[in-house]
Amino acid sequence: MNRQCLVKWEVSADTREEAICELLDEFSFRETTRELLRIALETREVAQPTIVHEGIAMPHCRSILVDDFMIVLGRSEQGIPWPDDEVNLIILFISPVKATGPAEHLELIKHLVKVLRSGGAEKALAAKTPEEIAKILKFDYKKAASDE
Amino acid sequence: MNRELEKLISLHDLDVMISDLVNKDISKQEKKLGLSPDVALSQLQKMREELVATIDRRHREMYDRLAKHYGNAVVPVVNRRCSGCFTKLPTAMMSSSSGKDVVTTCPTCGRFIYQCD
Repeated sequence: MNRQCLVKWEVSADTREEAICELLDEFSFRETTRELLRIALETREVAQPTIVHEGIAMPHCRSILVDDFMIVLGRSEQGIPWPDDEVNLIILFISPVKATGPAEHLELIKHLVKVLRSGGAEKALAAKTPEEIAKILKFDYKKAASDE
Repeated sequence: MNRELEKLISLHDLDVMISDLVNKDISKQEKKLGLSPDVALSQLQKMREELVATIDRRHREMYDRLAKHYGNAVVPVVNRRCSGCFTKLPTAMMSSSSGKDVVTTCPTCGRFIYQCD
């Protein structure tokens, strides 16, 4: 899939809420935008935790606050309570709201279903580098500005 | 940004989430991922009611009317234009220092408009 993703290799957060904040900080959102996106992602999580595989959570939403896909992968060796299960990999994405509807958002979810349900979940959990994890999930790895 | 406007943006994003979970194709894919969209939908609808109760009645009614009419009641300002109707907004409206403290609407289409800080 021709979508760029950032990777936060060692997420230091101890809670789901902290993890979402830490991953949002990988983007250069302005303060209000970041706060409103945090609220949207947490709202979805409170409604139902997005555990999509043992050890993997997928916080996601569509928002009018972004004009392109925002994808960031977070890896935690120690694990993060989510809140009842522990996750080692977070696939966080925010899709833009477009006049054409949710087709591209659906396409991204379909892509993740296909990759994760065909052995990608286990491989992603076992990945050793940011490049490898992005490759397994079939995203284009983009280094964060802070990594360059 | 005005707090009321922030709530209207959150309401819009919440409505998008709800509409996504109602969407049969998205719901089907979420089920394939092991999620329960029906459970999430029910919870989000309750959370929507809670959020709506905190929004000024006048804004709430405007939001509902605009959402029904246009499909989107809140839109960003892009290049000084309302991204709902693409009307160029008056310079004074954009440069007003007090603009950040009030709920602003597009003078042409009436949608709530926001500029990110």
